[in-house]
Amino acid sequence: MIRLAGLTKKFGERFAVRSLDLDVPRGEVFGLLGPNGAGKTTTLSLMMGLLEPDAGVVDIAESGPPTDVGVRRKMGLAPQALALYQELTGRENLRFFGRIQGLSGTQLDERVDHGLEFVGLTPRANDLVAQYSGGMQRRLNLAAAILHEPQVLLLDEPTVGVDPQSRNHIFDNIEALKAQGRTIVYSTHYMEEAERLCDRVGILDQGELLALGGVNELIEAHGGLGVLTITTEAGEVRSIETENPVIALADWNRSELETVRSFEMERPGLERVFLNLTGRTLRDT
Amino acid sequence: MMSTVLAMAAKDLRLLVRDRGGLFFTLAFPFLVAIFFGSIFSGGSGEPRQLQILVVDEDGSEGSSLFVESLDRSEALSVELSSRVEAVEQVRRGKSVAYVALLPGFGASLSHPFAGSPPRAELGVDPARGAEAGILQGLLTQFAAERLQDAFGDPSGLQENARSGLQAIELSGATGPQAEGLKRLLTEVDRFATTQDTADGQEPRSGGQGGGFKLEPIRIEKASIIVAKNGPPNAYAISFPQGILWGILGCTAAFGLSLVSERTSGTLVRLQSAPIGRGQILLGKALACFFACSVVSVALVIFGTLAFGLAPSSWGKVAVAIACAAMAFSGIMMFLATLGKTERAVSGVAWASLLIMAMLGGGMIPLFVMPGWMQTLSNISPVKWSILAMEGALWRGFGWDEMLLPCVVLLLVGSVGLLLGTKLFRWPNA
Ligand SMILES: Nc1ncnc2c1ncn2[C@@H]1O[C@H](COP(=O)(O)OP(=O)(O)OP(=O)(O)O)[C@@H](O)[C@H]1O
Ligand SMILES: [Mg+2]
Repeated sequence: MIRLAGLTKKFGERFAVRSLDLDVPRGEVFGLLGPNGAGKTTTLSLMMGLLEPDAGVVDIAESGPPTDVGVRRKMGLAPQALALYQELTGRENLRFFGRIQGLSGTQLDERVDHGLEFVGLTPRANDLVAQYSGGMQRRLNLAAAILHEPQVLLLDEPTVGVDPQSRNHIFDNIEALKAQGRTIVYSTHYMEEAERLCDRVGILDQGELLALGGVNELIEAHGGLGVLTITTEAGEVRSIETENPVIALADWNRSELETVRSFEMERPGLERVFLNLTGRTLRDT
Repeated sequence: MMSTVLAMAAKDLRLLVRDRGGLFFTLAFPFLVAIFFGSIFSGGSGEPRQLQILVVDEDGSEGSSLFVESLDRSEALSVELSSRVEAVEQVRRGKSVAYVALLPGFGASLSHPFAGSPPRAELGVDPARGAEAGILQGLLTQFAAERLQDAFGDPSGLQENARSGLQAIELSGATGPQAEGLKRLLTEVDRFATTQDTADGQEPRSGGQGGGFKLEPIRIEKASIIVAKNGPPNAYAISFPQGILWGILGCTAAFGLSLVSERTSGTLVRLQSAPIGRGQILLGKALACFFACSVVSVALVIFGTLAFGLAPSSWGKVAVAIACAAMAFSGIMMFLATLGKTERAVSGVAWASLLIMAMLGGGMIPLFVMPGWMQTLSNISPVKWSILAMEGALWRGFGWDEMLLPCVVLLLVGSVGLLLGTKLFRWPNA
């Protein structure tokens, strides 16, 4: 559905995206993971045709590049920077964005009502966006992207700065959209979101795709061993990397004098995958 | 696709209306300029000013020169004698408000109110000065009626008048209710004058009973005058075009800023990801600006016409002038929006340039007050051409040929602005 080949974009001398190859099949939820400045927004902008690549191609639904107006009709984008008119109400925003998507008449009314309902903003529809909370604005930002029922949906960090309630609402929305068979590219730097929502993820750092695959696949390949953390009666904390925590615990019991007060087993996650791939944690880049 | 552009324009107008600060500059301030400066320069509105008129005495009789004297004595008028050719030319060129020509036979008719036709005068008034025309007509009638009254105050003259009137009716052999009524009246007048004591003159009636007879103290014929160039009819004729320009400048700044804020607020990204072209996005903004400029201008013209005696000589030309000015400044708006990255930067640059345009172009100090070299310099300001077109349509009485130059200049400015604005516009990320 989305095909990127050799996609490259430079700002000055710096590569924001470098020789990116990617195929996202129809109906997949694809996670684009990476720290700040990794090139996620740039990649999505190239996918949406907002930026001209310096090299490489983007092809959407085998119909050509998104710089084509006709191709863009099949796509929806929820930008990272909230794209809403603060001095219009939620409904007015959606009506306007629906119109420029070519909707009109009862179809427009229906789609706007549906959009408001979908993101749970119907009770606040007639309030100015300026009076919305951050989470509500995020949800409206999502609603504005799906008015025209696009086949391809690009969501750029749709959960930044929202409270857990709005976050769960957005997760439910994305799962519903997935169930409708839409192809979704979802960028985030929250690994647990990717683990919950995505069929496959790509890990992006400094414009390059470091790894690509299913969540479990990547963890198996790059996650390394699990970590067993033991706290002794004396309050000391020990970490042991191991494939089999039961044996490791038994070994500890046999060889060490200190008794175990508590222990904890951490399975490797995408966080560790990233750490192992880049030598850095996601959050401190 | 036009519907997309219209949707964009409608959204922008709605946003403009919600922006209190913006509304002040686009609506409140222009009205203030128009009313405030107009009232400052229109002099005390309470006491009526003397109406300066030219008088042409084509009769040259004693009666007519007495009439001219009585006009001159009036507080409301300041009279200057002139030849007809000169008088017509003066009014045509806007140097004088009106002329009154006393036609041959004026004096004789005036002193024989019951015989022949009433005294005839021709009135030529600048068409833009409708109010003054009415006043002048009233004054002339009043003076002629006073002369009539004088005739009734002099018994021997009255008797002579009545008799010559009766004679004239009999000679003409006129019949019918009106002639009968007049005869009855004149007979009464004759008898009244004969028995009249010299000391107390009684008030005459201006009309006789029965037969619907009426005395006509003066017959005024209006000459149609085509004004070539005239001065402003009043201070509001200067201040309203200025006010309109301030409204247009306010819209220009407001929409320039709103275009920049589409970028800084991220909405431009969403517009770009919609299935519309970049040209349409910018066109929508330009169109919204054009609408807003036009609405404010039309509102001011209508308000000025209803409340401040603005009398547009041609509504068609007013519409064209407004459209051309709105077009010019929509283009300028597009260009100004490219001159900075942030709203603050653009706001600074835009207002600085617009204020200079206004200053040079007569938006602050009227052009005719400026020294010659500055009037020449003002040609570089689109404000000047807008005001010229507006004044041409409102009171200068421009023909289409005279409207052409300012309108073409404005359309050119608009096109160049639109072109540069589209070319130089900074799309996000680019
Ligand atoms: N318009 C621009 N001009 C110059 N450099 C840019 C521009 N946009 C992005 N960059 C640079 O390109 C790189 C990638 O930026 P991008 O916004 O794609 O990152 P991101 O992964 O979306 O980050 P974040 O998580 O902070 O949103 C960064 O180094 C950024 O500084
Ligand atoms: Mg980003």
